[in-house]
Amino acid sequence: MIVINNLSFGYNRKKLLYQHLQLTLETGNIYGLLGRNGAGKSTLLKNIIGLLYPLEGNILVNGHVPGKRQPNFLETIYFIPEEVLVPAITIDRYIDLFSPFYPLFNREHLMVYLDRLEVVTKDKLNTLSFGQQKKFIIAFALACNTKVLLLDEPTNGLDIPSKKRFRKLVASVMNEDRMIFISTHQIRDLDNLIDQVIIVDNGQLLLNASIPSISEKLSFKTVDEIPEGLNVLYEEDALKGKSIVVENIRKEETKINLEHLFNAITENPALAKSIFNN
Amino acid sequence: MNNTFNVKRFGWLLKKTILERPAQLLGLTALSFLLSFIIYGIVRMMSDFEDAQNFSFLIGLIGGGCFLASFVFGHFTTNAAGSSFLTLPASLFEKWLCGVVITGVFYLFLYLLFFRLMDIGFVAVYHHGLDHKGPYFKEQYEAVRVLAYDEFIADKAFMMFFNFAGIMLVGSLYFNKAAFIKVALIGCGICLGAFLLNMLIANIFFKNVQTAFPYYLVWLMEGKERGRLELPEATLQIVHAFFKYIIPVILWALAFLRLKEKEF
Repeated sequence: MIVINNLSFGYNRKKLLYQHLQLTLETGNIYGLLGRNGAGKSTLLKNIIGLLYPLEGNILVNGHVPGKRQPNFLETIYFIPEEVLVPAITIDRYIDLFSPFYPLFNREHLMVYLDRLEVVTKDKLNTLSFGQQKKFIIAFALACNTKVLLLDEPTNGLDIPSKKRFRKLVASVMNEDRMIFISTHQIRDLDNLIDQVIIVDNGQLLLNASIPSISEKLSFKTVDEIPEGLNVLYEEDALKGKSIVVENIRKEETKINLEHLFNAITENPALAKSIFNN
Repeated sequence: MNNTFNVKRFGWLLKKTILERPAQLLGLTALSFLLSFIIYGIVRMMSDFEDAQNFSFLIGLIGGGCFLASFVFGHFTTNAAGSSFLTLPASLFEKWLCGVVITGVFYLFLYLLFFRLMDIGFVAVYHHGLDHKGPYFKEQYEAVRVLAYDEFIADKAFMMFFNFAGIMLVGSLYFNKAAFIKVALIGCGICLGAFLLNMLIANIFFKNVQTAFPYYLVWLMEGKERGRLELPEATLQIVHAFFKYIIPVILWALAFLRLKEKEF
């Protein structure tokens, strides 16, 4: 479990990225952290892993204070930054050098994940393309079997088939003892993967809700005319009318469109808050 | 496992640090050795043995040590490498100790071994080239011997090595990009500032100061005669101890503190 209590952080004390952020993340979920460029998604992940220190407040990850960077904490969490860098060594040498630090690392798992992501090479890792390098690091991180996995823009640099394989792989390795936290601005890449959505904007937490609760509270549909008397959070011209996000008064079951959800929440934060608090 | 130090984990870290970038690490070491060899050869051709030994030893030990010290914590040029280093499950003490061991132990001993072998080689070639039946053979033979590691030059070289390498270790944790160049520039600035301050203070107390460098010596001109004025022995010992032990310990410890507070 990750508990973020009253977190304030900024690279400059006068311009804070987060002010008094409260957030609790439970084990057994795949969280999608959505936000604009520069909203502070990577910054939040770096605070959770302990690469950055909160100016105020505190963070606890499974009872550990990340800022202490103690080995018994670091071996339970894996962070994949947006840009990965692999050394000029082979896969076998990489396993030999890095895996001993992770007690739950499983070589067989790694080989299966590499196979599923179609990463095959006997050469040095730095000779792979950026996308292949990233897939290797993702596979290695998953094979470390850490309790918490933080992924910063994991699909950047992956081609379309690889994005699909990534989603399938992440979904398949998920279990009740694990938590996966994915930050992205490529919202569509998380479709059908995440079970909890977190939206941050202007240093504020605008939404932290599960997929079922979003379905229950909001309705996503395409209409010819916007019906009267509904709380419309978002509208966009579509081929066959207008795509809208409205309060789900009639308790309809509609498919969540993450991109529209993001726009709805960031454009109407106050209305969204009142809907979700009801 | 212990959160501060574990021998097994430290072994993994040391292995990983050396083998992750072997070309760069061993390449830098080999380059320092080669540079030392070339300088020895060139200065030997232009000057006498003592100059060649001293100059080559100083450049190889201090220059190579600084390069390596800058390299061992030089992970912060990219987001990925910096994150990977700081989030690797090893303690801060182990990460710091790894840098200290590579720079202050491995490099130092490898360099001393290399230099001794090189020096023996050069001296042997010189001795072999002497006329064994010549009238001055004994004097010429005895005039050239391998550099002693417990005499003045080596003593000063070790002092500079630990100071400059310490500065580089700290600097590479302060500057993410081009740390070596930035620290070298700052180091030059500090040396120049110390020189000017020394001169200024010496000029307040004495007339006809020719120079006042490094830190315990003032050269005075009296007519055409040049004389040196040193600190009193007791004070000199304190100042030496300060540069030899206290500053290096502070610098190397500062590297640990900086690593602990490093945000990336």
